[in-house]
Amino acid sequence: MSRPAQVSFTRLEEIAGGASVVTDAAEIAAREVCGMRPAVIVRPADAVQIAEILRFAAAEKLAAIPTGGCTKLGIGSPPARYDIALDLSRMNRVLAYDPHDLTLGVEPGVRIEGLLSTLAEKKQFLPLAVPFSARATIGGIVAANSSSPLRHAYGGVRDFCLGMEFVTGEGSQAKSGGRVVKNVTGYDLHKLLIGSLGTLAVITRVNFRTFPMPQAQGTFVASFSSAEAAFDFCRAVSHSVLTLQMVEVANPGVAALIFSGEISARIEPRTWTVVLSAAGQPAVVDRHERELGQLAGAAVAEEFLRLSDAEADSVQAQIREFPKLMTERTPAATIFRVSAVPGVMATLLGKLRVVAAQHELDLLSLGRAAGIFHVAFLPQKETSVPPQSIPGVIAEVFRACGQPEMRASAMLEWCPAEIKTSADVVWGPERPDFELMRRVKNSFDPQNVLAPGRFAGGI
Amino acid sequence: MQPQLIRELEALLGPKAVLSAPEDLMLYEYDGSVELGSPRCIVFPDSARDVAGIVRLANRYETPIVGRGAGTGLSGGAIARNGGIVVAFSRMNRVLEIDAANLRAVVQPGVVNLDLSRAVEHLGLYFAPDPSSQKSCTIGGNVSENSGGPHTLAYGVTANHVTGLELVLPDGEIVRIGGKSIETSGYDLCGLFVGSEGTLALVTEITVRLMRKPEAVKTLLAVYDTLDDTTESVVEITVRAITPAACEMLDGFTLRAVEDYVHAGFPKDCAAVLLIEVEGLKEAVEAQAAEITEVCRQHRAREVRAARNDQERNLLWRGRKEAFGAMGRISPMYYVQDGVIPRTRLPETLRRIEEISRKYDLQIGNIFHAGDGNLHPLILFDERDRAQFARVVAAGGEIMRHCVEVGGALTGEHGIGMEKNELMPLIFTEDDLALMERVRAAFNPAGRLNPGKVLPMGKACGEIRVPPTPASAAIPT
Repeated sequence: MSRPAQVSFTRLEEIAGGASVVTDAAEIAAREVCGMRPAVIVRPADAVQIAEILRFAAAEKLAAIPTGGCTKLGIGSPPARYDIALDLSRMNRVLAYDPHDLTLGVEPGVRIEGLLSTLAEKKQFLPLAVPFSARATIGGIVAANSSSPLRHAYGGVRDFCLGMEFVTGEGSQAKSGGRVVKNVTGYDLHKLLIGSLGTLAVITRVNFRTFPMPQAQGTFVASFSSAEAAFDFCRAVSHSVLTLQMVEVANPGVAALIFSGEISARIEPRTWTVVLSAAGQPAVVDRHERELGQLAGAAVAEEFLRLSDAEADSVQAQIREFPKLMTERTPAATIFRVSAVPGVMATLLGKLRVVAAQHELDLLSLGRAAGIFHVAFLPQKETSVPPQSIPGVIAEVFRACGQPEMRASAMLEWCPAEIKTSADVVWGPERPDFELMRRVKNSFDPQNVLAPGRFAGGI
Repeated sequence: MQPQLIRELEALLGPKAVLSAPEDLMLYEYDGSVELGSPRCIVFPDSARDVAGIVRLANRYETPIVGRGAGTGLSGGAIARNGGIVVAFSRMNRVLEIDAANLRAVVQPGVVNLDLSRAVEHLGLYFAPDPSSQKSCTIGGNVSENSGGPHTLAYGVTANHVTGLELVLPDGEIVRIGGKSIETSGYDLCGLFVGSEGTLALVTEITVRLMRKPEAVKTLLAVYDTLDDTTESVVEITVRAITPAACEMLDGFTLRAVEDYVHAGFPKDCAAVLLIEVEGLKEAVEAQAAEITEVCRQHRAREVRAARNDQERNLLWRGRKEAFGAMGRISPMYYVQDGVIPRTRLPETLRRIEEISRKYDLQIGNIFHAGDGNLHPLILFDERDRAQFARVVAAGGEIMRHCVEVGGALTGEHGIGMEKNELMPLIFTEDDLALMERVRAAFNPAGRLNPGKVLPMGKACGEIRVPPTPASAAIPT
């Protein structure tokens, strides 16, 4: 901290209470962001305290980063400054749940796992099958815009989030949107907070629409000898009348990770696999089984099978946790989140595979067939130091995505902290829209209190 | 206005692309709302470059600029409140690309909503947002207002269907945000600009998602003898988590006007009907239709019938979509509202509207997107009766306040515009509005782009605007 630490601690203790200001070394270490550690952790009880803390931070030229389950602090570029970790774990209440209206309002510290259990009691759910689900909180999931396989049917957070309350970098409490399912009252400022990594405001409440659980579900796997065949099958599915919940495409190598037991024996590990699930009345699920089987046959699938409920649960959990599995496999994992139209995905993944091979890296990719993929570059041998070739690989990935025939969007979600030397490494080269993002940042956080440097273009 | 500006605009766009004669300007004074405002000239750009040139000229002459599609908006969004230049996008009406494989289309802002669906119909695709004005409203206008429609219950509003935009900023810069892919890294700028009601930038190109037509569609008409039974049915459908593609309600008064006009076969002696549509695989459609029929019968629907063919279905929908127009036959003028409430509060809200109707001695027709709690009470009036019009405005304000009290919102799909901007403090605090003001200023610092819209100007806090002379010709279809 830039001032004698004791002065700051005293003020923070006045705001949040002595027990809520923490300097324990292990706790501090858990809130490390790209190798940087905060001087202090504060656990505010409500939006009023957050506003006071941020105003104090602005006056003292301190920087703050909001944290929840601390599962995704590694995402984003390295912050320029980081003094205070705003731990939102005390703000963990469900503020409003009206199952009859299918609407929900929660504080940011609510954990997704518990929340889904609460909703399940009313036979409802949120389509957030996100990684790190044992610890991830709503605030973190929204701030990182975590991708869920259920996006196929339900869209992303932006599509079912109804509104938010938040505290801006200036310490001003504000809100946008509302609690009703249809609303165009005022600017949709809350959409800007989705995926903003805490750089605009601290989220204090999120309102969602909830969804009824389907009566029955069926999960299917089809395997193919090439990426083209797998994506052709996905295209045939998306152009059919079938209504899938998820359509996931895994490259060779991923099969070994996501399938276990009996299925892994049936799926040839060197094939591309497509995992699909259908939901609704039993007759609907049965029809999906029949017609997906026919489409898989027409696309010359090597295998097409329906998973048992237990197998489906296991496979879906592995798919959901893919980024976590990759980061656990090796700390040297370099994982991009890439988005492109489905029509170019096979070609793009092919190019990235060549990049990986040239640098003697393995490439594992898994993602939504609609066009959001996690692409992981992994060292072929076990190593604790990141391969020297990684910076070159990163540049080549952004180059491949930026080609006019690809028009893909990429960001580097996970990699060893030492690789992240600048915002460009994570977000790619400067784009014309970054300047608009700077204007947004300046409206919310003119004094650069919130996670300075963690976002695109050095925001 | 400076004649020099008109000359410069003519030099930039050609003389045929600039209108400034009083008789031409009159046609652009109004939109679908009860508002009025006179521009000084109308320009018809052909490209983003033209738009950028117009914006730079407007800056040099310090003149307001207002974008306009078909002028069907219902909150005064396209009205030149402070005069200035109206940028009419009717010449930028080309579908630039249909990428069926990736379910995308790239269009210019002046493309008519229904024309896009027609252009992709042969591919089994369509554009989901379907405002009642879809035969004439433009996609640029849909983007500005974040328009909805009956089927947004299942498929979401315009914002859920836009992946990329080309913008001309108020300083004349042309910039692209988003793209064809389903997401783009960085802040969700498309999420901010869609629905910003033309106050942050002019939209010159739009990339939208296309959807596959469902295999089966079933349209049900449930007929009721009381409003309470009708609204309770909607609540029960929501509570049971049945998800129809559309769930519309028309009350008896509105129905009679519609039936005389459209002859769709609506019963004229009932209290209300629900028009419910289920879509998807035929197995799902049959099951859902059966469940909905059961709910309606349990709530004493005196009849539940299904459209037997496309012709019957289209006729029912024509009745719904042309209901506003039908009102024009029985009243010189009407004031349409757009409040939203939590769906479970429908019965009490309808009772409240009845009370307000009696209190102010006004005829109020109810026609709305019941499934998502989006109300469209139509308050009928005669604009020559100024005393009556004052009651109309007061009644409208009271309905709005009720929506807010039960946890709702001021507008579900029509936008705030210049009609409800002074009501914004009912929902938002000073701090909320200050932040929106800052975001607007970040893109539109001189306030030259669509001035006097969305955010309150602080002159009549908490009041619906009382237009000095309600437009007389504006009956939206």
